[in-house]
Amino acid sequence: MRAREGRAVETLLQAVASGVLIGLVYALISVGLSLIFGLMEIVNFAHGEFLMLAMFASFWFHLLLGLDPLVSLPLVATLLGLVGLVTNRLVIAQIIRAPMLAQIFATFGLGLFLRSVAQFLWTPDFRLIQNPWLSRLFGGRVEIVRGVFVGVPQVAAALLAAVAFAALYLFITRTKMGLALQAVAEDKETAALMGINSQRMFDLGWVLGSACVGVAGAALASFYYIYPEVGGTFALIAYVVVALGGFGSVPGALVAGLVVGLVEILSPVMLGIAPSLKYAVVFSVYLLVVLIRPQGLMGRF
Amino acid sequence: MKKTHCSGQTLIALALALALVVFPFIVSSPVTRNLMILIFLYAGLAQAWNIVGGFAGQVSLGNAIFFAVGGYTSTLLLQHAALSPWVGAIAGAMLAMILALVVGWPVFRLGGHYFAIATIAIGEIALALMANWEAVGGARGLTIPFVRDSSGRPADTWVWFQFNQNKLPYYFIALALMFTLAGLTAWLDRNKPGFYFRAIKNDQDAARSLGVNVLRYKLLAFVLSAAFTALLGTLYAQYLLFIDPESTLALRLSVLIALVAILGGVGTVWGPILGSFVLIPLGELSRAHLGGSGRAVDLIIYGALIVLISVFQPAGLMGLGRRLRGK
Amino acid sequence: MALLEIRGLTKTFGGLTAIDDVSFRVEEAEIVGLIGPNGAGKTTVFNCVSGFYEPTRGRLHFAGHEITGWAPHRVCRLDMARTFQIVRTFSDLSVLENVMVGAFLRTGNRAQAERAARHVLELMGLAAKAEMRGGSLTIAEKKRLEMARALATKPRLLMLDEVMAGLNPAERQAAVELVRQVRAEGITILMVEHVMEVIMPISDRIVVLNYGRKIAEGRPETIARDDQVIAAYLGEKYRGRH
Repeated sequence: MRAREGRAVETLLQAVASGVLIGLVYALISVGLSLIFGLMEIVNFAHGEFLMLAMFASFWFHLLLGLDPLVSLPLVATLLGLVGLVTNRLVIAQIIRAPMLAQIFATFGLGLFLRSVAQFLWTPDFRLIQNPWLSRLFGGRVEIVRGVFVGVPQVAAALLAAVAFAALYLFITRTKMGLALQAVAEDKETAALMGINSQRMFDLGWVLGSACVGVAGAALASFYYIYPEVGGTFALIAYVVVALGGFGSVPGALVAGLVVGLVEILSPVMLGIAPSLKYAVVFSVYLLVVLIRPQGLMGRF
Repeated sequence: MKKTHCSGQTLIALALALALVVFPFIVSSPVTRNLMILIFLYAGLAQAWNIVGGFAGQVSLGNAIFFAVGGYTSTLLLQHAALSPWVGAIAGAMLAMILALVVGWPVFRLGGHYFAIATIAIGEIALALMANWEAVGGARGLTIPFVRDSSGRPADTWVWFQFNQNKLPYYFIALALMFTLAGLTAWLDRNKPGFYFRAIKNDQDAARSLGVNVLRYKLLAFVLSAAFTALLGTLYAQYLLFIDPESTLALRLSVLIALVAILGGVGTVWGPILGSFVLIPLGELSRAHLGGSGRAVDLIIYGALIVLISVFQPAGLMGLGRRLRGK
Repeated sequence: MALLEIRGLTKTFGGLTAIDDVSFRVEEAEIVGLIGPNGAGKTTVFNCVSGFYEPTRGRLHFAGHEITGWAPHRVCRLDMARTFQIVRTFSDLSVLENVMVGAFLRTGNRAQAERAARHVLELMGLAAKAEMRGGSLTIAEKKRLEMARALATKPRLLMLDEVMAGLNPAERQAAVELVRQVRAEGITILMVEHVMEVIMPISDRIVVLNYGRKIAEGRPETIARDDQVIAAYLGEKYRGRH
C-alpha cells in the first residue's frame, strides 16, 4: 500500500517537474508572439514555423558542421532574429494598414509556405540529434527528488528559457530602448511625439521575438524530434499561452506558459485520459480563458 | 445605373447556368466531368466560406470541420440507421449549425484573431480525434457499399443518393448547389443581413452604434456557412462512396477553401466561383505533372499565393477586373 | 420627464477615475453642449451613455427606460444614436450603403431602407456623392456621412462627439447649419465640442466637466462668466468677448 502510494506521488512529482520544464520553454516561445502583438496588434501566424526553422538550423549545424546544439545556439538565435527582421520589412510592413483579413492571411500564408518548403527540401521525416553533449552530461539524467528523474537536456532547455526570459524582461524594463519599446506599444502617436521611431521599434520587436524563438528552438533541438510540421502544435500552444497571459504581457507569458505546461502534462495523469487527448484539454483551457477572462491574466506589458 | 448593373449580372448568371447545363452533353469525357464536379464542389465550399469570411470578415481556418460533419453524419446514419443520405444531409447540416453556434458564441465576442486561432485549433483536434476513434472508422475511414440492382451491378438510385452507372446526376446536384449558394450570396449582398455583415467587417463598433447586434449576425453568417459546407460534405461522401479524416479534416482543405475565395475575390458574389474555375484545374494539372510525391509542392504554391494576394491584391481577381475596367 | 437623465455617473479604469459623480439632464428638443478641457471625461460620458462602457456607479435613464449597462445596439434601438470622435466610416461601402446600414434599423425591406437613406443624404447635402466609396471622402464629408448614418436610425437623441474638429471655418458654418436643421426636425442633441465659437451660440444649455467632475451647468452666457469655468478652461480672452 505504501509502495503504491509512494509511486503515485512520484508519478505526480515527475509530471509536475516535466510540466514546469516544458512550461518555461512554452513561455519563451510565446513571449515573442506577445511582444509583437503588443506593438503592432498583429498575430504572427508563422510563429510555429519560425520555431521549426530554428530547430532545423540546429540540426543542420550539427549534421554538417558537427556543432553541438548548445554551441550553435547563439548562431541560431541570431539567424532567427534576422528572419524576423526580414519578415517584418518584406511582409508585415506591407500589410500593417490592411484589413485584418489580409493581415491574418499574410502571416498564415507565410507559415504555410515555410512549412511546405521545409517538407519539400528536407522530407516529412522525423529527425533527431544523436548524442548531443547535454545528453552525455551527468549520464543524461538528473534525480531531483528520490525517484523523480528529468533529462539533462530538458533541464538545460528550461534553464536557458528562464535566463533568456529574464534577460528580455530586464531589457524591456531597465534599458532605454526597452522603455521605448513599451512606449510604442502603449501609444504610438505620443511616442512619436517624443522622438521614438516606431518603425525601428517594430523591427526591434520582431528581432527580439524571433530571437527568443530561436533560443527555444535550439534548446529543444537537443531532445525533441525535428520535422516540418513540428511548428503546428507549438504554435497552437503559444496562442493559448498568449491568450491566457494576456496579449502584450511579458510576465503574463511566463505565468501562462507554466500553467499550460502543467495542464498539458498533468491532464493525462490526473484526468486519466489518453495522452493523445491532452491537446484537447489545452484547447479547452483556451476556450475557457477566452470566455471568462478575455484580457488574460495580466493584460499589457 | 445600379439597376442595369444588376440585370446585367442576372443575364450573365443565366448564360453561365445555361452553358453549364448543356456542357456535359457536349463534352462527355468522364475526366472532364469529374473535374467540373470538383470545380462546383470547391466553388460551393468557397462560397459558403465567403459568407462568414469574405462578407462578415471573420476568418475561419477550420471550415473543413463542417465538411466532415456533413459527410460523416450522413454516412454513419446510413450505416447504422439505414437512413437515406438525403435525410442524413439535413441531419449533418443541422449538426454543423449547432457546432457553429457552440464555437462561435464564446469566441465571437473577441477579436478576429481569437476566432481564427480557435478554428485552427478545433480543426486540428477534430482530425486527431477522428483519426483515433475506431467507432467512426478511425484513420481508415468509412466506405459506403454499392447499392446493387437485381443483376448485382452497382445501380443508380435517387433514394440512396448513388449514381454508379451514369454519374451525371452528381454533376447537376453539385451545379445546383453552386447556383443556390450564388443566389443566396446575391440575396444577402443586396439585403439587410449582407449590409450588416459588411458593416461588421468594416467597423464593428460603428455597427453596434447603429443598432446592429454584432454577435447575432456573426453567428448567422457562421451558421449559414456551416450548414452549406455540411451539405457539400454529404455530396462528397456519396460521390466517392468513401470518407476519411485526412481528406475531410486536414488543414490543407480549410486553407484551400479560403484560398479559392481569396483568389477570386472575397466579399463578392462571383469571386469564389471564379477562383474555383481558375485554381482547381491548375491544382489538378500540377498534381498530374508534379506528382503527389508527398513533397507538398501544391502547398508551397498555395502558401506563396496567399501571401502575394494578401500583400498585393487583397481584392483578388474580381478586384483586378475592377481595376482594369478603370473603376 | 427629461429625455436623458444621468445620475451620479462614475467610471473607473483600474485605479484611474475617468468621471466622478456626474449628473445632468437633457430635455426633449434641446441642444446641450458638453465641454471641458482635454481629458475631462466628455467622451467617457458618451461611451457610458451609449453603452460602450459599463458605468462603475450611477444610473442612466433614457426615454423612460433605465439603460444602465445596456449594450450599444440595444441602446440604439431605443432611439439614441451617436457619432465618434475619430470618424468611423464603413470605408468599403458606398456613401449610400453606409447610410442604409443605419436605415435598416427601422425596416427589413431593402427598397424602403434605400429610400430613407436617400432622403437623409438629401438633407445632409451628400446626395451627389451617393455612389462614392465611403473611404474616399474628405474628413468633413465623412463627418457629415457619420451624422447622416446616425440620423437614418431615426433617433430621438443624437449625440455628436466633436463633429467640428478638423473642419475649416466654412465647413464649420455648414455643420452648424446642419445641427440646427436636425433640431428643427425634432431631434434632441447632446454635443461634445472643443470649438467654443461654435458650441456657445448654438447650445440651449452647457454642461462643463473638468477632471471628471461637473463644475458648472447653465445657459451659455452664464457659463462664459463663471469663474471656475474660466479658470479651468476658457481663458480670460473669452470672458471679455461675452
